[in-house]
Amino acid sequence: MRSIKKYVILTLLVGLGSLLPTLRAQNDLQISKAFDQYGERKGVVMVELTDEMLNGYDFSLFKSLTIKDNPSAADFIRKCLAKDESGAKKVKQVVSNGVPTSIYLQLPRKGQLYRLILFNEIISPEHKITLIYIESKNDSEDVLKLILKKK
Amino acid sequence: MIIKMKYKRNFREADRLIEKYYDGLTTGAEEKQLKKFLMQSGLPERYEPEQAIFGYFEHKKEKTSFRIPSYMRWAGVAAAIALILLGPQLFVSVNQSDYAYINGKKVSDIREIKSQALASLGDISSSNDEVQENLNNINDNELIEKQLDVFSAIEK
Repeated sequence: MRSIKKYVILTLLVGLGSLLPTLRAQNDLQISKAFDQYGERKGVVMVELTDEMLNGYDFSLFKSLTIKDNPSAADFIRKCLAKDESGAKKVKQVVSNGVPTSIYLQLPRKGQLYRLILFNEIISPEHKITLIYIESKNDSEDVLKLILKKK
Repeated sequence: MIIKMKYKRNFREADRLIEKYYDGLTTGAEEKQLKKFLMQSGLPERYEPEQAIFGYFEHKKEKTSFRIPSYMRWAGVAAAIALILLGPQLFVSVNQSDYAYINGKKVSDIREIKSQALASLGDISSSNDEVQENLNNINDNELIEKQLDVFSAIEK
């Protein structure tokens, strides 16, 4: 009986251990609210890919949100980004008419994962917001270089 | 031969203890000894009443009805371990499988998902080009001269 108890405790610990890394680091970020709030709406494309090789990119997690004709969503995302900026390295920011329209954030590593947030807003020819969250085992600078190099 | 003699001695001893038991004179240790004897299988029929008193038949019944073969027990333990180990993985793979939502509709076609992912990456890389282009324009002497010409025209 005692040995069965030992087995149960051991397996529970192993099970919990295997679960922990899968709890995604993105959940601690404010931008996760944007994915939750806008992801399933009309005029929006939300993508989630896990452990995928994507045209040369090796992502542990890739999430993107593309929103058309919704300036209030852009304001909401900007507010989320302002909170997620704390502790992050701002790789790039473009401000147009006093409003940040392009923000690239290099977030602190979470375990073995490098994390990046990329945000872009264009107004013409149509209003379009792109928000990307990336987790990768590769250095985020390398990932960013690769993204910006590809067209 | 030796075994038979041993049995005989046991039976004699058991008979003595049974008598003592019915007289209410047995000690705890003696009752234990008697019980141990009566729990044996293959005893002569004359011991059946005492076996019944000491719960031999109940014990036997209980044993036959609840006994789980050891291989089944191990299989159960193995199944539990597998469930605990693979359970979270299954849960995770169900919840975090690749997907896309396009205009509120869930898409699970991996080619479509990847194409949407690449499109969003394209948006970022092309926006970077625009910034670069704008920065190049700032350094464009022609543009600066044109802008200065506007002021010189005002002067005239």
